[in-house]
Amino acid sequence: MKTKTTKLLLNATYLLLLISIIRLITGATDLTSVGTASAALLLSVPIILAGLGGLFSERAGVVNIGLEGMMILGAWAGGFVGSKHGPWLGLIAAVVFGAVGALLHAIATISFGVDHVVSGVAINIMAAGLVRYLSTILYQGGSWPGPSQSPDVKGISLNGLPVLSGGHYFGWQSPDLLTPIAEKHWFLVSDLIGIIRGITGDLSYVTLVAVLFIPLSFFILWKTSFGLRLRSAGEAPVAAESLGVNVYAMKYAGVLISGGLAGLGGGFLAIVAANHYQENQVAGRGYIGLAALLFGNYRPGGILAGAALFGFADALQLRDSASIHALILLIVAILAYLVFRDVKRGKMLSASISAVMAGASVWFFFAVQELPGQLVTMTPYIATLLVMSLASQRLRMPAADGMPYRRGGLR
Amino acid sequence: MSVAVELRHITKRFPGVVANKDVSMRVETGTVHALVGENGAGKSTVMKILYGMQHPDSGEILVNGTAVNLKNPNDAIELGIGMVHQHFMLADNFTVLENIILGAEPQHGVTIDFKAARAKVAEMSKAYGLDVDPDILVEELGVGQRQRVEILKVLYRGANILIFDEPTAVLVPQEVDDLFGALQGLRAKGMAVIFISHKLDEVLRVADDVTVVRAGETVAEVKAKDVTARQLAELMVGSELPQPTTHGDTRRAEVTLALKDVSIPTATGSRDLISHVSFNLHAGEVVGIAGVEGNGQAELVEAIMGLREYTGSIEFQGSTIDHMSVAHRHDLGIGLIPEDRQRQALMMNSPLWENRVLGHQRGKPVMRGFILDKKATIEDTKRIMEEFDVRAPGPMTAAAALSGGNQQKFIVGREMSKAPALLVASHPTRGVDVGAQGAIWEVLREARTKGMAIVLISADLEELVGMSDRLLVMLRGAITAELDPQKTTLEQLGSAMTGAA
Repeated sequence: MKTKTTKLLLNATYLLLLISIIRLITGATDLTSVGTASAALLLSVPIILAGLGGLFSERAGVVNIGLEGMMILGAWAGGFVGSKHGPWLGLIAAVVFGAVGALLHAIATISFGVDHVVSGVAINIMAAGLVRYLSTILYQGGSWPGPSQSPDVKGISLNGLPVLSGGHYFGWQSPDLLTPIAEKHWFLVSDLIGIIRGITGDLSYVTLVAVLFIPLSFFILWKTSFGLRLRSAGEAPVAAESLGVNVYAMKYAGVLISGGLAGLGGGFLAIVAANHYQENQVAGRGYIGLAALLFGNYRPGGILAGAALFGFADALQLRDSASIHALILLIVAILAYLVFRDVKRGKMLSASISAVMAGASVWFFFAVQELPGQLVTMTPYIATLLVMSLASQRLRMPAADGMPYRRGGLR
Repeated sequence: MSVAVELRHITKRFPGVVANKDVSMRVETGTVHALVGENGAGKSTVMKILYGMQHPDSGEILVNGTAVNLKNPNDAIELGIGMVHQHFMLADNFTVLENIILGAEPQHGVTIDFKAARAKVAEMSKAYGLDVDPDILVEELGVGQRQRVEILKVLYRGANILIFDEPTAVLVPQEVDDLFGALQGLRAKGMAVIFISHKLDEVLRVADDVTVVRAGETVAEVKAKDVTARQLAELMVGSELPQPTTHGDTRRAEVTLALKDVSIPTATGSRDLISHVSFNLHAGEVVGIAGVEGNGQAELVEAIMGLREYTGSIEFQGSTIDHMSVAHRHDLGIGLIPEDRQRQALMMNSPLWENRVLGHQRGKPVMRGFILDKKATIEDTKRIMEEFDVRAPGPMTAAAALSGGNQQKFIVGREMSKAPALLVASHPTRGVDVGAQGAIWEVLREARTKGMAIVLISADLEELVGMSDRLLVMLRGAITAELDPQKTTLEQLGSAMTGAA
């Protein structure tokens, strides 16, 4: 474990160093600014929640394409209940609605043996239609401002680390020591401080809770009996049954937790990231969460990495298209590393492919001064795609994931 | 010694079949008790009943002297009954430790107490000589080690009555020795071990007592030291054992198959896979190919069937077939019983009638013009099932649901349907029960009398010597000897195969 941790820290350091250098070269200060880091975290949270939702479901052996629909249900419920009864009840309603969607998925896939993908897609379609229908009724009843938008939800207050990041505690406003350092633009130091300040200051409590779900999920799934049994339902359900594990119960639990987390992710979008529900607010984040899950090889830490990557790219494109231009250099650097690695391993074909791509990227960097807007908007998706295709890691999905299971498989 | 388990007159019916008519057995503590019987005799059903996976229609189960009602495996586990399944029930992506404790995790607050679990597993490993690293992923283990994990799993739950369902089926000889060592250890610790098998030599090696079941009934309870393998086998089948023999000389003048200097060179140019093989096979003759596996027998079959490129020439009924495709050779009248029936002869998840089509998809009764004649195929499948005694509910049953012997009888029946002039039979009775073995021999005998030529490849030397008119010994891809089976002992054949003679 020790060596794994040090390796991780080392890689993170290299990455930071690389980004610092690129910032220095291109002058794109937003790459590591406080605002970018803060926005990246905010944008990552729904992905993290969706990814963790997928984790619980798929570890229990149920493929959950329906995450998107469960997020939609959660977002809508967050806006509806949140605007009436305040943000906290709104979040609880989001969890409940997500879980209701999940219950549907669980009944279909676990009890009736419907194909997991079919059921998931059906839930996505149904959720989108259902919330539009409900919104229209509320609009015509006069309680909503439009058929695609809920009234505003009261905000949840923000806080940060004391002394360093300017939090407030019991009426005391702490100083904010990090921001000035971050704005000095010192090489490496300001970059690191900027990121730390961004993710420790002006935080919503919900963000904090969501991030804590990552270690909590790991703890539940890998350190408790419940987790071991849940995972056994996804790896070898027949073996689990032969040892007296109630496989159906585990699968139901996994899918319901999944829906609750996805619903919370949707509620987060409506209540924390914005201040009302808006149609199409989820915008594919359920799928991105699923991608983060795959990228993270069905592990909580990996989901965080995948979500952070997407959040970072998304934050950059929202804030400053010049930084996206600088991001191309980062891609070049990563490709150069891959060329180096593949040459060392003697994989000449993939090395030359990477080399050609790196060359094209360099040319693109110098040929294009300003990226067209459409391309900028696409950046988070391109980045996700690129990293997933290049990571070329050994993916290991749960062995019985997506397979219908019937009790009495023993006989 | 006390009685650990007693079964009294167990009956179990399934729709259409009676799996157990009247099975009784007494297993004493501190003994290894073998339950033997042919495939389909009802051994597995008895054990599933004892493990709570199925419920008897009538009869009594006594554990440690008290009558019990087992509703599910949990009840059995609580009574100290453990099952080591034939098909391992392990999660590959879990560690050995996780697999062992699953469902019975020691708790430490809200977490699993991995430390206590590891200590307990280490202690059991040591006590029973079942050495395995608890923190390694199961996917990295070999078959023998996986079985150890299964045994540890059962012991971890405090079992003192252990059921082993055909435990040696998947093991190599060295692993079998290890397993038997472990069984002796369990016996010495006062456990009752129930050992299900149809490999009689193994049963006699390891068991103290033997219960024989036939057609769902207990037919004998004997001490292992009082019987021979042959006696046990006859008890199992209920009659004298079938013998691999042929009668008289049925050889005819015409040559059915002629190989002339057939070789299969390797791509790398090293030693040929088979080199300069030549022989003639007459109608009504059985030629046996003897050899240690991997000496070119499989490649020889592939050459005759056209599955592999070769040099030299092969003639069938007087004309060359070198340029012909596999399908063409089949259509000419060459039948094949491949060595691996599950992978090469059957679609395991398809019904029997669809399997009937395999290799016969170009003519009657399967086809009517360009259209598959499902009705006729089903009818013909029924005919095969009747003629060749394939025991299965019907033509709609998936091939996977049949026992090995019945699968093989079905394959033999399918190949005989076109009355081939030549049959290439590769291990035709491997892994099938005694009854099916006898039936298949009978089919081959009859076909020989009618003039079919047979190339017989087998690892069962008795079968080779008994069924063949002529023996060819293959060693490193070449034919190194021709023997007369009438004048050859198994020892002589064995040493010819290894090149010692």
